[in-house]
Amino acid sequence: MNFQKKDCIAMLLAGGQGSRLMVLTENTAKPAVPFGGKYRIIDFPLSNCVNSGIDTVGILTQYQPLELNEYIGNGQPWGLNSSQGGIHVLPPYARSKKSEWYKGTANAIYQNLKFIERYDPDDVLILSGDHIYIMDYSDMLSYHKEKDASCTIAVLDVPLEEASRFGIMNTREDNSVYEFEEKPKKPKSTKASMGIYIFKWQVLKDYLIADEQNEKSDNDFGKNIIPALLNDNHKLYAYQFDGYWKDVGTIQSLWEANMDILGAEPVINLRDANNMIYARNYAMPSAYISGESNIVNSYVAEGSEIYGDVENSIISTGCTIEKGAKIKNSVIMPNAVIKENAEVQYAIVGEGVTAEEGAKIGDDKENYSAEDFGIAVVGKDKVIEKNTVIKPKEII
Amino acid sequence: MNDMKTMGIVFSNIYDKTVSELTSHRTVASLPFASRYRQIDFVLSNMSNSRIYNVGLITKHNYRSLLDHLGSCFEWDLNRKNEGLVFIPPFSTGNTGIYKGKLEALYSAIDYIDNDNYDYVVVSDSTIICNIDFRKAIKKHKQSGADVTVIANHDEKDFGREHPLVLHMTEGDKEIRSISIDCQSGQNSFVGMGMFIFSRELLVKVIKESHQDGLVHLERDFLQRGFNLGKIKVEVYEFDGIVLRNEDINSYYNNNMELLKPEIRRGIFKNNRPIYTKVRDEFPTYYAEGSKLDNCLVADGCQIYGKVSNSLLFRDVYVSENSEIEGSIIMQSTKIGKNVKLSYVILDKNVTINDGVVLNGTKDHPIIIKKGETV
Repeated sequence: MNFQKKDCIAMLLAGGQGSRLMVLTENTAKPAVPFGGKYRIIDFPLSNCVNSGIDTVGILTQYQPLELNEYIGNGQPWGLNSSQGGIHVLPPYARSKKSEWYKGTANAIYQNLKFIERYDPDDVLILSGDHIYIMDYSDMLSYHKEKDASCTIAVLDVPLEEASRFGIMNTREDNSVYEFEEKPKKPKSTKASMGIYIFKWQVLKDYLIADEQNEKSDNDFGKNIIPALLNDNHKLYAYQFDGYWKDVGTIQSLWEANMDILGAEPVINLRDANNMIYARNYAMPSAYISGESNIVNSYVAEGSEIYGDVENSIISTGCTIEKGAKIKNSVIMPNAVIKENAEVQYAIVGEGVTAEEGAKIGDDKENYSAEDFGIAVVGKDKVIEKNTVIKPKEII
Repeated sequence: MNDMKTMGIVFSNIYDKTVSELTSHRTVASLPFASRYRQIDFVLSNMSNSRIYNVGLITKHNYRSLLDHLGSCFEWDLNRKNEGLVFIPPFSTGNTGIYKGKLEALYSAIDYIDNDNYDYVVVSDSTIICNIDFRKAIKKHKQSGADVTVIANHDEKDFGREHPLVLHMTEGDKEIRSISIDCQSGQNSFVGMGMFIFSRELLVKVIKESHQDGLVHLERDFLQRGFNLGKIKVEVYEFDGIVLRNEDINSYYNNNMELLKPEIRRGIFKNNRPIYTKVRDEFPTYYAEGSKLDNCLVADGCQIYGKVSNSLLFRDVYVSENSEIEGSIIMQSTKIGKNVKLSYVILDKNVTINDGVVLNGTKDHPIIIKKGETV
């Protein structure tokens, strides 16, 4: 079989367990977690690829891949069902000599060298499946080519006090990187790595092979590959990104990112026709909004029926909010039912959850001290019995 | 494989004139309906959900929007290797042209229907909206040994311009007494739903003979005549679900409004038999501070800052601050400015309503603004 040569293909790391999302990733991979009413997290990097003209994407899966695989299907919703390229789900597989799980981010790519080789790309874009952002990778690719870099790393300016939570790129005036520090105690720069890399394929390939020989290596891009390239005086550049970007690896950050799409002029605007985010759509009728409802600064997706009050919240596809129910500052994931007079505040309610009459999930922030407060979470398909109270911070 | 081996034929143009204000640039099949669908979606979804995957769509003119809507037919699961949806435009065979009636139209599809792999054909209009499992009707057709089974329901009322097929029954709905093409139905009668089941070989024979005899209309020239002359055995399959007949602008308007009732919606939209339509990749609808909705159906991709009641909003509609909409049908990608007041209007696709405009129609005479116009 012949393969078309590609300038750049994308490899999307979607194997992370996402254990800090607790019950939300109990039975599903983090990239398949619902977001923003009708999306899943992985829709963002996938749509960015398509909108940037990248038509070949390998998705590296490992943890709980069933739902993710089903969701991705043949890539048709993203226009990635092309016969020349398109979407390829790449789980770890058994080989004749040895079989193993993906040991680290670099090892996951290493195990798929042959897949990449088929397309003979000049550059490879490495992405992860747990960030919410809208970005044109083609601008970054032009920058990478213009600098003739071996590797270009997308960076975001973060406040100095937060810099020690990130991988920090220390750069010279021309944005070339001289040092990479993973979560430095005393950060020298505020350029945080976004986990988005473009490598010259021929360079990356050599380093992946060498890294695999080193038994002490963690086989990780940040810990091993980037430092090794720097050590050998390769040209590495930081590509400054000014848009919205959020790692949604924790309950708090996932909730915050959902809240960030609200407002008349949100920091990440999903209503901008120029930045279309694609998702798999399900055949559901239009939302029905009753006169008994009151909806303020909220998203409501198709297939929902709203009879209660909704404020600063996201109601995903196929939900029912019954009469007298109140939803405030919350994310209701697909197909949940919130029955009469139930209250949901500062909470994430998982897919298919039923909150029976008078149930109370989460509470108003005002009533709690900062350390006692947190987002309440109800996992997929759970039933919250009549008049039951789920306190803030509680995760069930 | 499907042991029933049934193929489908759908007419897309036959009733274009009945809602001419909205069909100057599209087929009646692609007329938007129910806040996010086109009329054709219902019959195609019914076919697909009934495992009828070989469907011929007969078109006459104005079918660009229909082609655009259906694309590869992936959404209806009619993009298949060995079966799927087939467009049958006029002049698709050398000896056919523009037709007036369904019998004539079927002649243009004769080669398509003349396919030994199928035993039965479901022939359907696209303007009668329901959620039906054709397999039950096919089963009855098979058991009864009828030449033609007419899918029909009890619907006692005056009909509009289009005269449906009325089957007058003997006591207890046991047998068909007579068949008429009528404005009115009455007690002990069924009204045809524009859906018929034929044994395929018979249909081919009928089409060929009708062509020779210069017959045009399926209901009048074949069914009524054939039955009255005792030439064909006709059976009725009674459909007892919700049926919305879009026969003219008034019934089209009223049927849209009917969908605001939960029991009507539940009869049309069923989880186990979904209605499919073209995916448009819209964000969920945004309800801003200051918006207020009362008894509305709202598709994805809308942004609502104003007040909307008793209305249907299709995808990508923008309603600005301090505007009020009542009893209206607002189609896709329409922009409504500030301080606008609309009551009882039908806005076709891509309409722009400028700030401060007031339009007052009535329930019986809704104001219609054509596609792409600015008011």
